[in-house]
Amino acid sequence: MQKDFKYKLNVLLFTLPALLLFTVVVCYPVLQSLYKSLFDWDGLSKPVFVGFGNYVKLWGNDNFHLSNKNGFIFAAMITVYQIGLGLLLALVLSSKAVRKSRFFRTSYFMPVVISTIIAGQLWLQIYNPDYGLINKIFEALGMSYRQAWLSDDKAAIYAVSFVNAWQYMGIHLVLIYTAIKSIPEHYYEAAVIDGASNAKAHTKITMPLLGETFKFCLVISITGGLKGFNEMYVMTQGGPGTYTNTLTYMMYKQAFMANNYGFGCAVAAVLVLECLIFTVLINKFVARDRIVY
Amino acid sequence: MNKKFGNIKKTALYIVLSFYAVCSIYPFIWLIFFSLKNNEEITVSNSFGVPEVFRFENYVNAWNSFNIALYFKNSIIVSLISVAVTIIISLMFAYATARMIWRMSKVARIYITAGMFIPVQIILIPLVILVKNLHMSNSFMSLIIPYIAFQMSFAAIVFHGFLTSLPFEIEEAAYIDGASIFRTFMSIIVPMVIPAIASVLIFTFMNVWNEFTVALMLINKEVLRTLPLGLVSFKGQFNTDWGGMGAAMVIAAIPTIVVYLMFSEKVEKALTVGSAVKG
Repeated sequence: MQKDFKYKLNVLLFTLPALLLFTVVVCYPVLQSLYKSLFDWDGLSKPVFVGFGNYVKLWGNDNFHLSNKNGFIFAAMITVYQIGLGLLLALVLSSKAVRKSRFFRTSYFMPVVISTIIAGQLWLQIYNPDYGLINKIFEALGMSYRQAWLSDDKAAIYAVSFVNAWQYMGIHLVLIYTAIKSIPEHYYEAAVIDGASNAKAHTKITMPLLGETFKFCLVISITGGLKGFNEMYVMTQGGPGTYTNTLTYMMYKQAFMANNYGFGCAVAAVLVLECLIFTVLINKFVARDRIVY
Repeated sequence: MNKKFGNIKKTALYIVLSFYAVCSIYPFIWLIFFSLKNNEEITVSNSFGVPEVFRFENYVNAWNSFNIALYFKNSIIVSLISVAVTIIISLMFAYATARMIWRMSKVARIYITAGMFIPVQIILIPLVILVKNLHMSNSFMSLIIPYIAFQMSFAAIVFHGFLTSLPFEIEEAAYIDGASIFRTFMSIIVPMVIPAIASVLIFTFMNVWNEFTVALMLINKEVLRTLPLGLVSFKGQFNTDWGGMGAAMVIAAIPTIVVYLMFSEKVEKALTVGSAVKG
């Protein structure tokens, strides 16, 4: 009996710090955000209950629709680039014919380890219309095409998305590469004996077995895109005008610039809801079972 | 030579692989060149080649007049404390969920794991208010505590995965010898999970060192700025000295690049274990 109590005490001692911290710093503020999104509140005076008023206001707000659209463009761009290229490079690097795979993986992962702020500043220079690398390349190739990448209404969001796509491709490459490497060799041997070509072996064996990995990759790139903020903050300040605003940017402006805390909470709530919906959908439709070799 | 790949095909493959390697690394080389040039070279004569003269004084200027030394120190303080506490708390938690038998174990684990999927945006507004009400605005703690809370989920997942793979007999022997749980934890478990600790340490360090969004919303005092915040503030202030700004960026990037190059396998390991989230 005494021993049982002591055991329970130990469990409590080991788990309490984590549970307490998580509850106070993550769980409670999440609930607060959802609750406060129902109020008109400037952060100082008494909040006024408005029901779903903030959400109705949000729906009628042009900036919200633009920010939302940008989030989807950002998410789509980085998902296609990072998972597409990551998969392609992982397939090539995992083939036994390629040596120096470690060197290539390390190179491709390098951009991941620097701050988005540094990557943003870097690309700000590369995109510079006067002396930036990209326009200089056009010049060197003798083409007269020039583009002010970040100050063009239409191009800006794509230019900004590309920076994130470039920076974080390495994560997906490493995840997919490791997953491919963990597939037992004899699966392929069997396929080759049965007369399957290299391409066929990949579509019939590699792809289905990567389901679990794709699931994770999709979740981090799609939700990562919806949450986009740092690149915009550094490279365009949400501009030109509001053309590169995202939901996080909108939340930031509403809450911390305009003191519309309740409205800002509603923006955050919509963002989280979107992330949640995508996470659930991906989990539902991409390979269900974990494969154990 | 492998039969399936002809020589030409193989060369073509290497060219493609090398081309993308250049795309990934060249911006870094370019940044280093950039940091050693003056404005005239950057904007007019030589924007992407090797500098004509290596102007190391840009680094001296960045360190002295850009406050880089201060931001660097702040980043080190915040990162070290966050990483250390994250490891202690999450290792203890993972030990309880992986090695102890109790009723709510699985629920507790899923609860903490959920943190990995909660966007930090949803907590920012209440957090800023909470910090203000607790009179903690503009202190390192206001940054360190959220960092720990958010890094904890990932760390706990990695530790949990690692701990469940160890055989149970290890502790049984110690337990029969009369060692307490704390003793067993400290003298048997901790030494065995050092590889996992190293992975988590490096991964968490890189995340915290580079974190921007939370820092931006919680810190507005100059003396408390971490490197990513400091780098953003240069832009308006020192618009003219591009070379110095490049130097500041190189200084800010060095720690994570060095850590990664030294421990790239650990980083990959942490990433793969963390991606295998169950629950």
